Amino acid sequence: MLELQGLTRRFGAVTAVDDVTLRVSNGQMLGVIGRSGAGKSTMLRLINRLAEPSGGRIMFEGTDVTALRGKALRDWRTCAAMIFQQFNLVQRLDVLTNVLVGRLNHRGTLSSLLKLFTAEERALAIRTLDRFDLAEAALQRADTLSGGQQQRVAIARALLQEPRILLADEPIASLDPRNGRVVMDALRRINREDGLTVICNLHTLDTARAYCDRIVGMAKGRVVFDGAPAALTAHMVREIYGMTEDELAEAEAVTSTSVGTLRDPALAIA
Amino acid sequence: MSPGLATIDAAAVAAARAKVPAAFGSPPTQRVLRWLGWLAFAAWLGTVLWWFDVSPVRIWNGIAGVMTILRLMVPPSPGEHLDDILRGLSESVAMAFLGTVMAAIVAVPLGFLGARNVATSLLFRFSLRRVFDGFRGVDQLIWALVYVRAVGLGPLAGVLAIFTADIAVLAKLYAEAIENAEKRQAEGVASAGARGVLVMRFGILPQVLPVMLAQALYYFESNTRSAAILGIVGAGGIGLQVAERIRIRAWDEVAFIIILILLTVAAIDLLSSRLRQRLIGTAPLH
Repeated sequence: MLELQGLTRRFGAVTAVDDVTLRVSNGQMLGVIGRSGAGKSTMLRLINRLAEPSGGRIMFEGTDVTALRGKALRDWRTCAAMIFQQFNLVQRLDVLTNVLVGRLNHRGTLSSLLKLFTAEERALAIRTLDRFDLAEAALQRADTLSGGQQQRVAIARALLQEPRILLADEPIASLDPRNGRVVMDALRRINREDGLTVICNLHTLDTARAYCDRIVGMAKGRVVFDGAPAALTAHMVREIYGMTEDELAEAEAVTSTSVGTLRDPALAIA
Repeated sequence: MSPGLATIDAAAVAAARAKVPAAFGSPPTQRVLRWLGWLAFAAWLGTVLWWFDVSPVRIWNGIAGVMTILRLMVPPSPGEHLDDILRGLSESVAMAFLGTVMAAIVAVPLGFLGARNVATSLLFRFSLRRVFDGFRGVDQLIWALVYVRAVGLGPLAGVLAIFTADIAVLAKLYAEAIENAEKRQAEGVASAGARGVLVMRFGILPQVLPVMLAQALYYFESNTRSAAILGIVGAGGIGLQVAERIRIRAWDEVAFIIILILLTVAAIDLLSSRLRQRLIGTAPLH
């Protein structure tokens, strides 16, 4: 169980995340929606502790994550893996090494500096890449891959961390609809098959509805909606986005990567 | 839990190895070649050490000599000619400043001409780059000796030496910064119909100007240090004072001058790092 208690983050006069309280049970797929600047990214970064909270606490299985330092903090980051909008792969390293970056906190510093990964670790990396049809690209440089492929490499890196939680910050915002669907299907799969908790920031409503068990809507740093996709009424949408769903759909049709339907019916929400 | 490392057994390793063999290390021929490379490197290192007769005994004796000099340096003393020392030092700083500023300005157009994404003629760029290489291949001290003969003793020879030696280095660094500039920003300007020189002015220069200024500042600091040497060959600055005092073995005065040089360089470094941080800050460039 991941628990945010009154989590707050201020940047100068701006309050990016304002007194957010949430309980996320293990194995849930949670979508966070809201306009740009609503505080979604900052909230995920706070959970991974890439950003420090100005107030409030983050609890996981009874541990106060906000108080962790040094090795304990790095262990927490390994446990709460992160996926970024711009993938954040090391462009000049090959795909295999990028994926093995996920092991760094599991092993000795010296052998890592010399890139002495064991055969088992390499095999795990290859097998994980193979799950996303990328084993053949293992020795290519990361920057030779397409955006969708890079995001799947980033997911493989996250999985090598053997995390309990996956934090995905706008994972499909830089991708075309087809690649966006492949990536969302991959996230759905690891949520269902591996039992990982997935918290996913999305700025399109349809994608959140299609893939998530539960949706949290944020506006101006605050949680304004928390419930099942079905409970997301027209009134709530207006509150979150400041426009009606029709206007939103129209705007999305023009601008956004929306992944409205599941390709694989077996992965649909029961 | 996700299927982790614990689930990987020998069979799983074998399966992955069969799928992507190269992920488990390079092929034997490549490994042999790599070992041969390292062996050649070690052999070369050993040969050079043997050639110059570098032995632990000689190094140990050298250290003993240095220790004697260090003992003679304590306590440092300004001697009887503090005014000469201070004049020499300010002359060195002024030489470095003048030489670097001139070189930095001349290097900007040369940098653009030498950049792959600006000068599209391969032959022209190749010739220009070789000229840069030629100028860089000759050390500042050689230039100083040449200019002392040409324009006479004094700081002008030093300024010209710094100027000549740095044009080529800065032009090369600038050209590389320009080549690493982001193409998309220049493309945005070109798409608006701007001519080539304006694309450089508005699409590339704002990206590279902070880098250029930072490098020029770094060279100013580095040149202050090397300007201290130029005086030894008569090209002005503090170097002459140092050389004279070493000749008469006034090690305490040498130590005093060295400390002054260190303090000056540290002050310049501090100022230039402040300035560099301002330059790469958030204020828009003009």
